[in-house]
Amino acid sequence: MNRLVEIVDKILIGFLMILMVVMVLDVSWGVITRYVAPKPSAFTEELAAFLMMWIGLLGGAYALRQKAHLGIDILTSRLSPKNQHRWDILIYVMVLLFALLVLIWGGLRLVSIQLYLNQVSAAMKIKMGYVYLVLPLTGMLLAFYSINFILQAIKGANAQLPERTEPLAGLE
Amino acid sequence: MMTASITILVVVFVLLLLANVPISITIGIATLFTMLVSMPAEPAVTQVAQKIATGLDRFALLAIPFFILSGQLMGQGGIARRLINLAKAMIGTLPGGLAYVNIFACMLFGAISGSAVAATSAIGSFMIPEMNKEGYDKNFSASVNAASATTGLLIPPSNILIVYSLASGSVSVAALFIAGYFPGILTGLMLMFVAGIISAAKGYRGAGRVSVIEFIKRFFDSLLSLLLVIIVIGGIIGGIFTATEAAAIAVIYSFLLAVVVYREVKIKDLPNILKNTITTNAVVMFLIGASMALSWVLSYENIPQTISAALISLTDNKIIILLIINVILLVVGTFMDATPAVLIFTPIFLPVVVSLGVDPLHFGILMILNLCIGIVTPPVGAVLFVGCAVADTKITYIIKWLLPFFAAMIVSLMLVTYIPAITMWLPRVLGF
Repeated sequence: MNRLVEIVDKILIGFLMILMVVMVLDVSWGVITRYVAPKPSAFTEELAAFLMMWIGLLGGAYALRQKAHLGIDILTSRLSPKNQHRWDILIYVMVLLFALLVLIWGGLRLVSIQLYLNQVSAAMKIKMGYVYLVLPLTGMLLAFYSINFILQAIKGANAQLPERTEPLAGLE
Repeated sequence: MMTASITILVVVFVLLLLANVPISITIGIATLFTMLVSMPAEPAVTQVAQKIATGLDRFALLAIPFFILSGQLMGQGGIARRLINLAKAMIGTLPGGLAYVNIFACMLFGAISGSAVAATSAIGSFMIPEMNKEGYDKNFSASVNAASATTGLLIPPSNILIVYSLASGSVSVAALFIAGYFPGILTGLMLMFVAGIISAAKGYRGAGRVSVIEFIKRFFDSLLSLLLVIIVIGGIIGGIFTATEAAAIAVIYSFLLAVVVYREVKIKDLPNILKNTITTNAVVMFLIGASMALSWVLSYENIPQTISAALISLTDNKIIILLIINVILLVVGTFMDATPAVLIFTPIFLPVVVSLGVDPLHFGILMILNLCIGIVTPPVGAVLFVGCAVADTKITYIIKWLLPFFAAMIVSLMLVTYIPAITMWLPRVLGF
C-alpha cells in the first residue's frame, strides 16, 4: 500500500507541475499576443480556465495527502494521541463520503449528461464532458488517499509525511 | 420547509466543523444535505458537482495561483532583505526604530505580494534576530511582526480581495485593490503609534545612522522590487491589463528578479516552490468550489433574505447592524481562517448591509480588515502560528504583547467602518 501511495503521489504532483507551468505560459502568451496580433485568441483564456479547474481540483487531492486542508482543531487537539487516531477515522470517512457521493457519483452523472447533450466549449470546441472528467478523477484520488489514511489510523501508526518547512494556509 | 433546510445546514455544518473535518468538505457535505431536503439524491449530487466545476471555470480566478506563485518567488528571492534595508535607511534611526522598520517593511512587502503569511516569515526571519540583538523583547518583536504582516491583505495586490470580489459577485478586483490602500496604511500607522509608545517606555534604540550615499544605494537596490508595484497596480488602474494578466506578469517578473537578477532562488528550488503553490492554491480552490455550491443553495432556499429580515427586525440602525456584524466576524475570525470566513459570510451579510445603503466595496474592505485581526488572535491564526515559529516563542507568551496591537487594529477597524470615505475616497477619485 505504501509503495502504491508513493507512486500515485509522484505521478499526481508531476502532472500538476506540468499543468501549472503550461498555465503560466498560456496566460503570458495571451498577454503578449493581445498586443502583437490584431485579433486576440479566445483559446488562451478558455484553456487557462480549464487548466485552473484541473489544477484546483486535482491539487485538492494532493493537498489532502499533505494534510494541508484547513480545519478547526480546537476540540480534537485535546484528545489523547490514541483517540486522535480514532477521530481521524471519522474525519476521513466524511472525506470519503464527499468523494463518493459528490465527485464520483455526481461527477460521472454530470459527465454523461454533458456527453449525451454533446456540449462543447465556446472557443476550443472541446467536449465539456471530457473537461468535467476531472471531477470523478479527483473523487477517486480523494477516496484512495482517505482509505489510506483510514487504514493508517486503524493501525494507529503516524502518517509517513515529509516534514513541511513552510506552513501552508489559506490566502493569509 | 425553509426552516428545516436552515436547521440541517447549520447543524451539519457546525458539527463537522467542530469535528475538524476539512472546511471545504464540511461546506460540501452540509450543502448536499440541505439540498436533499427539497430534491432527490441524484439531481442533488449532480448539482453540487456542477456548481463546484463551474465555480472554478473562471479566468478571473487565475490571479490567485499566480499571485501565490509570485509571492513564493519573492519571499525566497532576497526581495525582503532589500526592502528591509530601504526601510531601515528611511526610519530606522528613530527610537524604537527597528519596530518601525519591521512594520514598514511588512507594508512594502504587502505591496508587492498578496500574502500575510509570506510577509510574516520573509520579514520576520530577518528582523526578529536583529531586534533580539538590539535588546528588544522577542515577544514584542513577534507581536509587531505578526500584527503588521496583516496589512498586506489590504495593501494590493491581495489574494483575499480577489476572493471577496468573487464571493460578492459584483465588486471588481481593481476597485478593491485601490480601496485597500488607505485602510492598509491607516492600520500600519496605528501599529507604529502603539509600537512607538512601547519602545519609548522600554527604551528600545534605533539602528545606526545611514549616509546619504548609502541611502541612495539602498533605494536603487530595492528599486527593481518596487517597480513591480508600478507595473502591476499601474497596469490594472490604467486599464492596460486585467488582474489575472497582471498576476501572470508578476510571476514572470518575480521569476526573472529572483532567479536571473538576484540569483537567490536556484533552479533546483523551483519544484518545491511549485509544489507549495499548487497545495496552497488547491486548498483555496476547494473552498471556492464548495462555497459556490453553498451560495447557490443559500439563495435557492432564500436563506440570506431570512437572516437579513431577522437582523433588520432587531434594528434598522446601520451603525448597530455594522457593529453586530463586526462582532460576529471578530468571533468567527478567532477560530476560522480568513479565506473560508469571507466565502461563507459574504453571501449572508452582504445583502443585509446593501439593503441599508452600505457600498459592497466598503463592506469588503471592512470585512477583510476585521478578519486580519482574527488571523493574529489565538486559538487559530495562520499568521500567529508562523509568527511564533519565526520568533521561536509560544502563543501563551506573546498574547500579553499582542493586546495593545489588537486595540490599535480595532480602532482602525472602527474608523474604517464608520468613516466610509477612508475606503471610498481613492477609488471614487480614480473613477471606479
